[in-house]
Amino acid sequence: MDRLDKFNFILLVVLILVTTGMLVQHELNASKNTEPVLDGKEAMIKQYKEQIARDAVTYKEVVVAKNENRHQDAITMLDEIIRSHPDNPQSYVLKAEIIHEKGQLAKAIATYRIAIEMDPDLVDDKTPIFIGDSVMDLITVARGKLNREKKLKPNDKTLALALENIYYLQRRIAGGCE
Amino acid sequence: MSWLKRIDLAIITGALLGVGGVLIAFVGNPVNSGICISCFLENLAGALQLQGELRMSYIRPELIGFVLGAFVVAKKTGRFKVTGGSSPIIRFFLGFFIIVGCAVFIGCPIKMILRLAAGDLTAVVAVVGMMFGVWCGARYIKAGVFLERERNMPRINGYIFPFLAFLLLIFIFFQPVFIKQGQTGPAAMHAPVLLSLALGLILGGFSQRSGLCITGGFRNYFLFREKTLLSGVITFFVTALLVSLATNQFNLGLNGQPASHMSHGWTFLAMTLVGLASVIIDGCPFRQVIKSGQGDIDAGITTVGMLAGAALVISWSMRSTSAGPEFAGKIAVMSGLILCLLVVVSYRKNVRTAR
Repeated sequence: MDRLDKFNFILLVVLILVTTGMLVQHELNASKNTEPVLDGKEAMIKQYKEQIARDAVTYKEVVVAKNENRHQDAITMLDEIIRSHPDNPQSYVLKAEIIHEKGQLAKAIATYRIAIEMDPDLVDDKTPIFIGDSVMDLITVARGKLNREKKLKPNDKTLALALENIYYLQRRIAGGCE
Repeated sequence: MSWLKRIDLAIITGALLGVGGVLIAFVGNPVNSGICISCFLENLAGALQLQGELRMSYIRPELIGFVLGAFVVAKKTGRFKVTGGSSPIIRFFLGFFIIVGCAVFIGCPIKMILRLAAGDLTAVVAVVGMMFGVWCGARYIKAGVFLERERNMPRINGYIFPFLAFLLLIFIFFQPVFIKQGQTGPAAMHAPVLLSLALGLILGGFSQRSGLCITGGFRNYFLFREKTLLSGVITFFVTALLVSLATNQFNLGLNGQPASHMSHGWTFLAMTLVGLASVIIDGCPFRQVIKSGQGDIDAGITTVGMLAGAALVISWSMRSTSAGPEFAGKIAVMSGLILCLLVVVSYRKNVRTAR
């Protein structure tokens, strides 16, 4: 080991010690100053609960109309909300529920697809906004009905699209790394 | 392990991969995706903020285990050889496009077999596509196409990747602020950290010794009718199938399979790209990760390319969703195939010139 090697070795040790010292000091300061913070999961649930509370206000009148079976009024109000808040998937979830109540299965499924494409967390059972079970119930009913209709009208493109939407929703609800 | 023959090791590794790959999904990892190098790299890219999809952001301990397991076993058995310098930029971009192909299919070759073993029939087209790509690659090798030989490199090069894996392990336990971890979607689906790490270490160690490689198994068979690695691949499938059946995770069909789509033509082309590129760079994504832990700098460069690909397939939507492949994904697959053919043409020319 010549002088240059010795110098480099000492410099290396010094740099490692200084860097370690900086990291330790930073961590110690950080642990002194921090207020209690929510872990990631708690923060996510809190965020969604706040969103649910905001949505309850936004969609209050829609829900009233829906509960009173004034389906067309509810849809008109939803369309207005969609125009002013196009990014909120909850509009499409409510719209799909109303369309489902009206008995239009294929249209309800297509509307659920829009909502889930906007926010895939809607079919994540770890979130408070999970709607996977109710969508799956609809799919189970609709799949049998639409498959029977498809046999009668094999070239009907609307039916083919409805079935494609069903399979899409099934794949999303099934989970996987996507 | 020295008393075991290579074929036994390949079979044991295949069995471990099959059992581990299905059981790790049973205890928390995404369905049909217990082990998937492309998904794991996409998750890692998200955790490092190389892409912004929080649902796909998590440092998968299995990935760290693969590298460190291979490193420890290679060191212990005197197989830690630091080599590199063979067409690094070509390897980087082929690694990049391998992940593009995986993202368009939604899964690496390991996940392809796990999906098939779980009854997902959409993976059949992927198997055919990958085999076709490997077959083309084998034909090109016979015709004199191969990247130049690697050479010995200073030892420090070989320690970089294991060090990075160790650093990621520290990040898992200390969670610095710049590391992101999603709480919904695939990021939230994970087995306990220590279990994932242990599985990764075991698989990394065994894979280092056996050389198990999905594309390599088919390549060796097409080239020499040699069945050692292929026997490991077949064992992997059979074991995964049995464990899927035993754990009630088997669901035979085309429709409604998790993280799949029905664009079979693009699945075929995407996995043809994965098969062909993997033969050119000598190993599937899993094998590249293992080799990067045993001192192979070329595999390390490929893995960095794969990580870059994993980040950009999300950021630039060069991938598929349940609705099918995005337009950018289709263009990227075509670009990857074009690059493969350009490499084939130019390297064959080099060989001819050398003769």
